[in-house]
Amino acid sequence: MQLNPSEISDLIKKKIENFDVNVEAHTEGTVVSVTDGIVRVHGLSEAMQGEMLEFPGNSYGMALNLERDSVGVVMLGAYQHISEGDTVKCTGKILEVPVGEALLGRVVDGLGNAIDGKGAIEATETSPVEKIAPGVIARQSVDQPVQLGLKSIDSMIPVGRGQRELIIGDRQTGKTAIAIDAIINQKGTGVKCIYVAIGQKRSSIANVVRKLEEHDALAHTIIVVASASESAALQFIAPYTGCSMGEFFRDKGEDALIIYDDLTKQAWAYRQMSLLLRRPPGREAYPGDVFYIHSRLLERASRINAAEVEKLTDGKVKGKTGSLTALPIIETQGGDVSAFVPTNVISITDGQIFLESDLFNSGIRPAVNAGLSVSRVGGAAQTKIIKKLGGGIRLDLAQYRELAAFAQFASDLDESTRKQIERGQRVTELMKQDQYSPMSVAEMGVSLHAANAGFLDDLEVSKVRDFEAALQSYMKSEEADLMQKINDTGDYSDEIKKGIQAAIETFIKTSSW
Amino acid sequence: MSELSTLARPYAEAVFKRALESNSAAEWSEMLAFLSVVIQDQEMSVTIANPKVSQQQLTELLLDICQDQLKEEGVNLVKLLVQNDRIILTPQISELYESYKAEHEGYVDVDVMSAYALSKEEQKKFASKLEKKLDKKVHITTSVDKSLIGGFLAKAGDTVIDGSIKGQLQQLAKKL
Repeated sequence: MQLNPSEISDLIKKKIENFDVNVEAHTEGTVVSVTDGIVRVHGLSEAMQGEMLEFPGNSYGMALNLERDSVGVVMLGAYQHISEGDTVKCTGKILEVPVGEALLGRVVDGLGNAIDGKGAIEATETSPVEKIAPGVIARQSVDQPVQLGLKSIDSMIPVGRGQRELIIGDRQTGKTAIAIDAIINQKGTGVKCIYVAIGQKRSSIANVVRKLEEHDALAHTIIVVASASESAALQFIAPYTGCSMGEFFRDKGEDALIIYDDLTKQAWAYRQMSLLLRRPPGREAYPGDVFYIHSRLLERASRINAAEVEKLTDGKVKGKTGSLTALPIIETQGGDVSAFVPTNVISITDGQIFLESDLFNSGIRPAVNAGLSVSRVGGAAQTKIIKKLGGGIRLDLAQYRELAAFAQFASDLDESTRKQIERGQRVTELMKQDQYSPMSVAEMGVSLHAANAGFLDDLEVSKVRDFEAALQSYMKSEEADLMQKINDTGDYSDEIKKGIQAAIETFIKTSSW
Repeated sequence: MSELSTLARPYAEAVFKRALESNSAAEWSEMLAFLSVVIQDQEMSVTIANPKVSQQQLTELLLDICQDQLKEEGVNLVKLLVQNDRIILTPQISELYESYKAEHEGYVDVDVMSAYALSKEEQKKFASKLEKKLDKKVHITTSVDKSLIGGFLAKAGDTVIDGSIKGQLQQLAKKL
C-alpha cells in the first residue's frame, strides 16, 4: 500500500490537536426499504430537497422525494450494504464536488473522485453541483469564436464562446469525433475543456483519454466519467458535476468548453430514477420535468461580463469576461429528430450540428448536413476571414443541393447549372476532413479562398483533397509569415486577400499534386 | 412503516380530538398503549392474519381480552378498526396519538442514553438544559449504553444530540 502524503504522523498529530470537539445536533431517520438503489427513509423531518444524507459505511444518498412520512433517497454508488433499520443522518449540505485547476489532466467520477490512478486530487475549493444560472444583468452577448478546427463547422455553423450548440445524429455518425477534435483544437488557446462521458462503455472512455494524451490535449482537459456500469444517480449527476467544474473557470474570467456525451443517456438515467421513485410517467415514460433537467443544465453555459467576474473574484480579476461553451450531444434513433428528448434539447440550444449516417457512409466526414444545421448566435462571433469566405461556401452548397436532385433526371444542362453543380461537388469534397487533424484559422482561410476564387473548378473532383493537402504544406513552408499574420489578426484585408491569391497562383505554377 | 403511519394518521387525529372533547386524554393514552401490546403479541398477530377468523370472532376475542381495560369509546374504536381491517395499525395510532398529545401539552419525550447511569440530580440538571435548548418541557427516559464509551446521546423525535465519545471519534475519523 502506498503512503498518502496526508498520512504523515506529524500532520495527523496536528489535526488531532486542532480537532474541534463540538456536540452536534442532527436529524436522524431509519431505513424502511431498499429497492434498486432507491431507499425509503422514515423520519428525517428536516431533510431538504437534494440534500446529501449519510448512510452507514461512509456512503451517501441524495434526498429527492420529500413525502409526509418518508423521504425517497437515491443512493450515490453502492447500496448493497444498506439494510432495513439502518440509521440515516442529515448532513445539512447539498451535494458538492471539488473544483479548480488541480482537476485539469485528470479523470474523475461523478462525485469528483479521481479514477485515473494518479493519486487523490488536491483541490482547495468545492462547489455545489446544482447552481442557478447567471442572471440577465450578469450576462454579455456572444462575440468571440470557439474554433472547433473543422472547416465545415467553423465556416458554416460557427460556435461562439458562451453558446450552446447541439451535436445531434444517429449512432456511428461521428458525434464524439467532432467533440474530440474540438478539444484537441483548444490546445494553446487557453480554453479549458471538460468532457463528460455519460453511460458510455469504459473501453470507449479509455480510448478518448488515450487519443487526447496522444495529441497532447489532456493537460487542458477534465474528464468526468459516469460509465454504463455506474448507478443511475451518478449518471444523472455527472453533467452537473462537469458544469460546476467549468463554471469555476468561467467565474474567474477564463473560457471553458464543456461536452456532454450524451444527454440522451442522462435522460434515460433520470427516467429510471423517477420511475423507481414512483413519479408519474409521461411521454415515452419520461417524468414531467425531463425538459427542466436539460434546460437548467444548459442555461448555466453562458458568457458573463467583466463586472460580474470582478464581483465573483472579489475584485482580483478586472476587465475580463468569462464563458462556458456547451456542446451537448444527443443520439437519435433512425434519424428521428422529432422524438421527445431531441426536440427538447433542440429547442433549448442555440443551434445544432446535424450529422447523417447517409453522408457518413458515402464518405463525407464530418457528416454534417449543411441544410439542417444552424447556429443562431455564432455568426456574430466568427473571425472576419472565415465569415467572408464561409458565406460563399454556404451559398454554393445550398445551390448545389437544390440542383443535384433535379440534375439526376436531366441529361443536358445549361452551362451555368452545370458549373454550379461542379462547384458544389468540389466544395463538398473540400469540406471533408480527417479525424484528429483540426485546422487553424489561416489554413481554413486558404482552403476556403481557393474554393471561392475558383481554383478548384479546373481540378478533377478526386484530386481536390490532394490539391488541398499539397497547398497547405506549401503555405506552411513558404508563406509562414502570411499564415502567422492571418492567425493573429483574423482579418481579410485586401493585402491578405492579395497575398493568398498570389501564393496560390505561384503554388499552381510551381508544384504538382 | 411510513405507509402505515400515513394510514394511521386519520384514526389518531380522530381519537385525539375526541379525547380532548371528552377530557380523557390520559385514559385514551392507556387504552391505546394496552391495545398496542395486545395487537403486537405474536399469537395475536397470527390470529389477526388468519383468514379463517371472521371479523365477528376477532372483535369478540379482542374485547374479551381487554375486558375492563377499554371504556365504551375504546370498544367502539376496536369495532371500527376490525370492521375496516385496520386493527393492525393500533401501534402506529398509539404512537401518533402520543406525539399529538405531547405537542398539545407542550412537552417532548427525550431518550437519553449514557455510558454510565445518571443520578437523580444529574437527570434533573440534564432535563433543565435540554428544556432550554429545545424550548419545550422535557420528559426524560434514561438508559445505559456502554458502547458510547463516555458522554451522552439524546434523542427527541428525529433530532439527535450527540455528545458521546463514540460520536466524537467518528467525527475525528471523518476529518482525518
